[in-house]
Amino acid sequence: MACNQFTGCCSLSPQKFPRAPPRASRPSRPPRPCTRAFPDTCGRCTDGAARVPPGWAPAQPAAWAAGAQSRGDFRVRGHRLRLRDGLSGEHAAAHPLSQAPALWRLLFRVLSLLRADRASASRAPEAQARWVKAALRAQGYPRLGLARLPEDGSQGSRELLLALAWLLAREPLPERLLAQTRVRLGDEMPVCECGALASPGQPAPRVDTAGPVDVRRLQWLMGKLRFRWRNLMASQQEQCALLGKIHAYTRGCHGDRSLGHLSVAETELLRDPEGGRQLLQRLESENARLEAALEWRRRELVFWQWMDTVLGACPPEASQPTFPPRLRGRGRRAGAWGPVAWELQALQEELQAAVGARRAAWAARVGGQGPEWSAARQAAQEAVGRELAALRQAWARGGGRAQPHRPHRLVRTEAGGPGGPGLRAAEVIGVLRSREACLEEMLCQLQEQCRQQLARLAGALPGLIWIPPPRR
Amino acid sequence: MLPLGCSRRLVAELQDALDTCAERQRQLEQSLRVSRRLLRAWEPAETPTPEPTPGPETNEEAPSPACTPSPQDLKELELLTQALQKAVHVRKGISKAGERDNASSLKSGSIATSATTAAAPHRASQTKLPRGTRQATRPAKGLPKPRLLSAGDQTCAGRGPLAAKPGPGLRDPQKAPSAAPQAPEAFTLKEKGTLLQLPMAFRKAASQNSCLWAQLSSTQTSDSMDATTSSKTQFLQKMQVTSGWPSSRLSAAEVEAEVGRLQKACSLLRLRMEEELTRDPTDWMQEYRGLLTLEGLQAIVGQCLHRLRELQAEVVEQQLGPWPEERPPMASLPCGGGADPTWSPQLLLYSSTQELQTLAALRLRVDMLDQQIHLEKVLMAELLPLVSMQEPLGAPQLALCRAVHSLLCEGGQRFLTILRDEPAD
Repeated sequence: MACNQFTGCCSLSPQKFPRAPPRASRPSRPPRPCTRAFPDTCGRCTDGAARVPPGWAPAQPAAWAAGAQSRGDFRVRGHRLRLRDGLSGEHAAAHPLSQAPALWRLLFRVLSLLRADRASASRAPEAQARWVKAALRAQGYPRLGLARLPEDGSQGSRELLLALAWLLAREPLPERLLAQTRVRLGDEMPVCECGALASPGQPAPRVDTAGPVDVRRLQWLMGKLRFRWRNLMASQQEQCALLGKIHAYTRGCHGDRSLGHLSVAETELLRDPEGGRQLLQRLESENARLEAALEWRRRELVFWQWMDTVLGACPPEASQPTFPPRLRGRGRRAGAWGPVAWELQALQEELQAAVGARRAAWAARVGGQGPEWSAARQAAQEAVGRELAALRQAWARGGGRAQPHRPHRLVRTEAGGPGGPGLRAAEVIGVLRSREACLEEMLCQLQEQCRQQLARLAGALPGLIWIPPPRR
Repeated sequence: MLPLGCSRRLVAELQDALDTCAERQRQLEQSLRVSRRLLRAWEPAETPTPEPTPGPETNEEAPSPACTPSPQDLKELELLTQALQKAVHVRKGISKAGERDNASSLKSGSIATSATTAAAPHRASQTKLPRGTRQATRPAKGLPKPRLLSAGDQTCAGRGPLAAKPGPGLRDPQKAPSAAPQAPEAFTLKEKGTLLQLPMAFRKAASQNSCLWAQLSSTQTSDSMDATTSSKTQFLQKMQVTSGWPSSRLSAAEVEAEVGRLQKACSLLRLRMEEELTRDPTDWMQEYRGLLTLEGLQAIVGQCLHRLRELQAEVVEQQLGPWPEERPPMASLPCGGGADPTWSPQLLLYSSTQELQTLAALRLRVDMLDQQIHLEKVLMAELLPLVSMQEPLGAPQLALCRAVHSLLCEGGQRFLTILRDEPAD
C-alpha cells in the first residue's frame, strides 16, 4: 500500500509483487478496518504493511487464515488498496517500494496535529523523521527500536507501525483529530480556563541583533501592550453587539429548533454562494471522515488482534545499555523551571519566618492547660489536616476535569425561558468573575511583594525620600 | 542600560505578548468585517446559475446571481414600481421644484432586464440624484426570490433599510424619498432576517454531521468497546514489557504537566498563606489553628520543592540514550478537550447582548490578567536582582529604581518621586 503523503489517499501501486509466503492479512470478512481520518479529503487509509520477519509466514493467527491470498487486494470505498506481500527483512532495504517513508510522513502529520505545532510540512524527510522520534520520545514511547531507525526511510515500517498502534491505543485518536479540525458552523466561544494569551513556555527565540536596551524601552513596550489591550476590549464589545444583532434578526430561521437562529457562518453562506459551496464541501468531507471513524470503531478489534501478532513477531528488545552521559546543554529544561523553583523557595522562606514568629508567640502564651487542652488540640489538628488535604486536591491530577473544555456554540434564547441542554451564560460569568478576583488578588500580592522589597532597598539608601504615587 | 542578556529576554517576552495581542486583534477584526457586512444590505444568494453581472462594483458586496424572473412577476413588479414612482413624484412635487418628470425614465425595458442586480447600480443611481434626479435603471432587484418567503413584501418601509445602510450617506433627506422605490429590493438582516432559509443541501449535511457526531460519542460507551479496550491495554502492556526503556521513567509531557501542577500548587498555597496571615485570631484556639495551618503549608511547600528537584534530576538522566537531541518545542497543549465523553458540540445559552458582552469582557480580562501575572513574574525575576545588586547612589541608578518600581508595582502606569534630602545648611 502506498500512502500518499499528506492527503492520506491511498494510491494504486500497480507493481506486482513477488510471491512470498502468504502473509495475507486479509480476512475473509469485510475489509480491514480503516484507521484514522485525516484532516484532508480521504478518510480511508490502512496502516502500513509491516515487514514480515523471516519465518513468520506459516504461523498465522487463525483469524487471518481463511481465504488467504498473497495479495491483499480489496476495495474500500472506492479506493483500491493493495497490501504488500510479506517480504523478508533482508530485501527490505533494497525494495523500491518501502512503506517507511509513508509511515514517517503519517506519524509526522498526526503528531504535529496533536501538538498543534506549526512545524512546517516542508521539512525534509530526514528532518521530519527526527522530529517524529523526538516527539514520540517526549510522549513516552518506550520502544528503542524506533530510535535506532535510519531516517532516510529505507527500512523500519514495522517499528513505525507499532508506533502508530501505540498512539492509537493510548487515546481515541480519530475522534480527537476530528474534533480538532471540525467544521465550525456556529459562533464559538471558548469556555475553558486555559489561558489563551499567556505563553507558558519560553517565547520564540528572536533573531534579534539588538543590543542592550534602556529600561525606558521596556516602559514603552508595556504601554503599547496596554493600548493593545484597550483596543481588543473595544473591538470585542463591538463584535458581541453585532453578534447579538445577527442572532436576534435571524430568529426562527434555523431548522434545528434547539438552536433557533443562524450563526454568522450560516448567514454568510447565504450571502456568498461561493463560500457556501466551500463550506458545504468541507462539511461533506467531514461527514465522510466521521463515517470512516465509525467504521473503524466497529472493526477495531481485528486490528488489535493483528497488532498483537506483529508485536509478538518482534524479538524483545534488549534493555537499554548505559550510554555515556551527555553533559552539554542540559540546562535547557531548567529555563522552564526557574520561575517555579524560585517562587516555591520564596514561599518557603516566608512561611519559615511566619511560622517561627507564631511559634514563639504561641510558646509564650501557652501556660499550663488542663486535660481538655489536649483533646482540643487533637481536634484542631484533625481539622487542619482535613483542610490541607482538600487544598491539595485542588491541584492534584484530575482536579479541573469536570469543567467544560471545548468552545461552545453561542445560542441566543429568550430570557427566563427554560432553555434546552447547554451551559448558561450566567454560570460562566460567575465562574469567570471568581477567577478574575483570584487573579487580581494574585497580581496585587506580587506587586506588594515588589513594593516591600524595593522599600527595603530604599531604606538602605539614606538621604533620599521616596514618595510613592497616590494609591487609587 | 540594562545588561545584554536581560534586555534580550525581556524584550522577547514583551514582544511575544504584543504579538499574541496583535494576532487576536487581527482575528477579531476579520470577524468584525464579516459581521458588519452581514448587517448592511446584501442579497441572499441563490446557489445555482450564477449569471454575469453587469455594472461596476463599487463596493465589496458580491453580485448575487438571481434567477430570471417570470413574465408575470415582471409585470407585477412593473405595476408596483410605477405606483411607487407616482408616490415619489407627488412627494417630490412637494419638496424641491424643478424636478423633471422622471416617470418616463423608468422604462419597462429596464425592469425587464435580467434580474442580475448588484448594489452598485443602486449606489450609482444615488450619486446621480443631484444631477437629474433621474431614477437610474431600476433593475428588478426586488424580485421576489424564492428564498424570501413573502413575495408581497415589496411594500416595506421606504426609509427603513436605507437608514440602515451606510452608503454614500450624504443628502439623506433628499435621497430617501426618491429612493423609496429602491426599498423593496434592498435586503437587510434587520428587516427580513427572519425570512431566510438555509439551502436544503446544507441543512441535510449539517444534520447528518450532528447525527454522526452523536453516534461517535455513543460508540465510546457501548459494550463492544470493552473487548477493544482490554485488547488495547494488553497491547500497551506487552509493548512496555518487550521494550528496552524502563517504564518508571516519566515522559517529557508528563514532567511538564507535573511542573504545571506544582505551579498551580504554589499560587494556591500562597493565597492560603496570605489569608492566614491577614486573619486576626480572636481566641487561643484560632491562633493555634492558624499556627498549625502555617506549619502544614510549610510542610507541603517543602514536599513540592522536593518533587521539583526529583523531576529535575530525572529529566537530566533521561537525556541518555539513543534518542535524538532535538527536542520539539513544547507547544502549549491545544485545548481540544480533556477526557470529554461527548464530542458533539455543546451550547452556550445567553439571553441578551449585555450578557454576551459581559461574558466576553470577562474572558478577555481573565486572559489579560494571566498575561500580566506572567509578565510580572518575568520582570521580577530579571529586574529585582539588578536593582538590589548595585549600590551607588548615582542618578542613573536612581532612575532605574524609579522605573523598576513603576513597572513592577504599578503596572507601568504611575511613578514615584525620589527627593534628595539635603540637610538644610
